[in-house]
Amino acid sequence: MKQGPVYTIVFAFLLTAVFTSVLAVADAFYAPKIAENVVLAERRDVLYALGLDGTGDAATLNARFDAQVAKKTVGGVEVYEQNPVEGPYGIAVPFTGSGLWGTIRGYLAVSSDFSRIVGIVFTEQQETPGLGGRIDELQYKEQFRGVPITGAKIVYGSNGDREIDAVTGATVTSNAVLRIVNDVLDNTLPKLEVTP
Amino acid sequence: MKESVRSVIQRNLWSDNQVVRQILGICSSLAVTNFMSNSLVMGLGLTFTTALSSLTLSALRNAIPRRIRMIVQTLVIAVYVILVDVFIKANLPDISKALGPYVGLIITNCIIMGRAEAYAQKNPPFLSMLDGLFAGLGYTVVLMILATVREIMGFGSVFGVDINFLHLPTWTIMVMPPAAFFLIATMIWIMSNVLSTKKPAAPAPAPAPAPAAMPGKEATT
Repeated sequence: MKQGPVYTIVFAFLLTAVFTSVLAVADAFYAPKIAENVVLAERRDVLYALGLDGTGDAATLNARFDAQVAKKTVGGVEVYEQNPVEGPYGIAVPFTGSGLWGTIRGYLAVSSDFSRIVGIVFTEQQETPGLGGRIDELQYKEQFRGVPITGAKIVYGSNGDREIDAVTGATVTSNAVLRIVNDVLDNTLPKLEVTP
Repeated sequence: MKESVRSVIQRNLWSDNQVVRQILGICSSLAVTNFMSNSLVMGLGLTFTTALSSLTLSALRNAIPRRIRMIVQTLVIAVYVILVDVFIKANLPDISKALGPYVGLIITNCIIMGRAEAYAQKNPPFLSMLDGLFAGLGYTVVLMILATVREIMGFGSVFGVDINFLHLPTWTIMVMPPAAFFLIATMIWIMSNVLSTKKPAAPAPAPAPAPAAMPGKEATT
């Protein structure tokens, strides 16, 4: 049998080389497209958080994004700011915090006068699918629109004139989201206020 | 002795179904069956991987040194899984986001290595590919049955479309992994009964008992 150690080693080397080359080619071929998808997903999420139209194909969405939103650094925080319109406009502030299983990232959009939350979006989360993962559903995210920022903590139940419900069966994730939101309001917003 | 195509299909979809007869791939059956769409993509991803890895391993079967065959199997399986993952990320970004880590976890699915060990290393490429293909489809069918029951009872929806017109209360337990345990156990029980009341199966060219299950990687959350 041709099963000596030399054959085994040569075979292992060759096979690994062939298969990793296949992967390298596939990766190089798809990398630009994947990078584009990542940017596009981020832009769609930011538009959603700002309460703007985040639907449509790549070209429409990019055009709309460029026309309506600008990336700025305010008080050391990189935010996406809606180009000023009449009345208060939105500012999307990035956040990172820990959920039940992993990191939750996303954007919390607040109005430019810091009086209300404009919207929330999660760009990355590894919560339990079907339970904590449901924070990604519109039913949950839409509840944050228009919640007044009063200095008091945002809680489940009533917040001024708005109600927010937790996700049933996902207490840890729901609480994690509130903790992150309150952290943004308490710690990140003051940084933005420094520069008018 | 070559197995007939018909026998490969019948065995994988029914009499030796990977999940309810061989009790393999249980980990992912628990984790991804609360939504029908997730189950479908998972099942198809696994089917693709099992078919192609069985084909490749079978084609190489006379060249693979026995001592490192498991490492080679893992390598080949991993390559196909990564290809699936990259393809989904590039072309179906939304589904990729919904499935998150599940696609990568196909690598740890016991069924793929089970087919490689039990079948592909002693059978010709075409039959091995069919065997992998139908093993995957058998898995997909079981997953879809579980997901249908769980999604309807747990969320009142089918493929994400709400059908709970009467607003009946949904069962949270159905969304959680224990529900899949009950349902799989019930299916195993029914299958055993159905198959044992028939005349003892013809001496099917039964595959060698599958190797010990690989460590389940799925978090049973």
